[in-house]
Amino acid sequence: MTLKLYCDRMSQPSRAILIFCKMNGIDFEEITINILKNEQHAPEYKAINPMSQVPTIVDGDFTLFESHAILIYLSCKYPGVASHWYPSDLVERAKVHSALDWHHANLRRGSVGVIVNNVLLPLNGLPFNAQAAEEAEKTLVKALTILETFWLKDGPFLTGRSQPSIADLNLVSEVMELQLLSEKEHDRLLSPFKKVLQWVEDTKSATAPYFEEIHGVLYKARDEFRALMAAKSGENDLK
Amino acid sequence: MALKVYADRMSQPSRAVLIFCKINGIDFEEIRVDILKNKQYSPEYKAINPMRRVPAIVDGRFKLFESHAILIYICCAFPGVASHWYPSDLFKRSKIHSVLDWHHSNLRRGTVGLVFNTILAPLNGFPSNPQAAKEGKKLLMRSLSKLEDFWLKDGRFLVGSSQPSIADISLVCEIMQLELLSEKDHDRILSPYKKVVQWIKDTKRATAPHFDEVHGILFKAQKRFRERMATESVKNEVKSKL
Repeated sequence: MTLKLYCDRMSQPSRAILIFCKMNGIDFEEITINILKNEQHAPEYKAINPMSQVPTIVDGDFTLFESHAILIYLSCKYPGVASHWYPSDLVERAKVHSALDWHHANLRRGSVGVIVNNVLLPLNGLPFNAQAAEEAEKTLVKALTILETFWLKDGPFLTGRSQPSIADLNLVSEVMELQLLSEKEHDRLLSPFKKVLQWVEDTKSATAPYFEEIHGVLYKARDEFRALMAAKSGENDLK
Repeated sequence: MALKVYADRMSQPSRAVLIFCKINGIDFEEIRVDILKNKQYSPEYKAINPMRRVPAIVDGRFKLFESHAILIYICCAFPGVASHWYPSDLFKRSKIHSVLDWHHSNLRRGTVGLVFNTILAPLNGFPSNPQAAKEGKKLLMRSLSKLEDFWLKDGRFLVGSSQPSIADISLVCEIMQLELLSEKDHDRILSPYKKVVQWIKDTKRATAPHFDEVHGILFKAQKRFRERMATESVKNEVKSKL
């Protein structure tokens, strides 16, 4: 029975797993759970993942959620997976775990906060919370600084590695979500971080052509959102 | 060279690492980094952990931070550790990874939000955020429900295990932080969750006597905080009557 991957290409951790599976030639069935349409709350999906989040995998009788756990499972289960994705050396592996753990309350929290406050709330006509937006940006900028000065200080990839690991896939997918911001905001936030920008390019190259293909849905959403925000801003100018 | 563990027993993940090392007879040196006195910001500690958080370990030349990564490393690097702490079976191990990951944005985030903003910040002169406290409590309650209905549905310990793993130590140490609340609030929050309450007892028992010993500082702080809160409450009552 083929591996089933329940995911949404708008979701950062979903994209990391999709890219990983395609890079490693893992045979799987992609089942889209549309989060902008709240399909993760449907009873059928809740029966698969009671946390009502994506991604989730079902491998025969075995169900698993949380993208870091899924990436580690796939790395260990499929013998064809190259060892740089999840190193067997204990020290190297521990550093990858460390970056993945750090990610939750740092890059992810900051990035999600910035997108929710600056894109999703306004697009849904909900009131802007300046304090929440400010705190989210602070968290994001701090995380980008730590990536620039610590996680990427010794190599093109995280934790000083010369080849990407599952941590690079996951964290770069997170940074890519910032594409949903206006071009001006995206550049304002990211342009000071030269190593981070290079790392994103290096990860894209290392996972070509799948990276761009899987990010297609995000780029489309980006173009739509930017057009909508521009139209709203035009309306406000007229008023 | 013995393992060095940089920790503060007021920190939930620090306690998890300390209890784990003690229960497995791992030879280590505990180096206290007092977070309420901001010792994590000293240049000496920054050289150990540039994130300026606890815990961190130094094993020879290797430095590591993030408690889950540390617990996993110790399980694998020290051969005497019993396998139930971090099973080699891929399915069981993956479930442990899953709950450890879930923890960050759920139980931990909720507990920290509530305890920091209602107790630690006001009593130590840091700015507190009542909205963050409210959101923390909401997230905490949701997380406790998920523990009760999902993570503990199939066994005495997390993810259906009959023996504790590193996930049980990590998450129970987090819940113990709620001991800093008033007795009334603590009981009101936890008492509806029978399985959670039992699981805490089972984890304590499985790691005795180290669990209580490592939590000693927390209980001392609890006593101090509760006395201060009681005094403040009497003062406020007297004021309002005057």
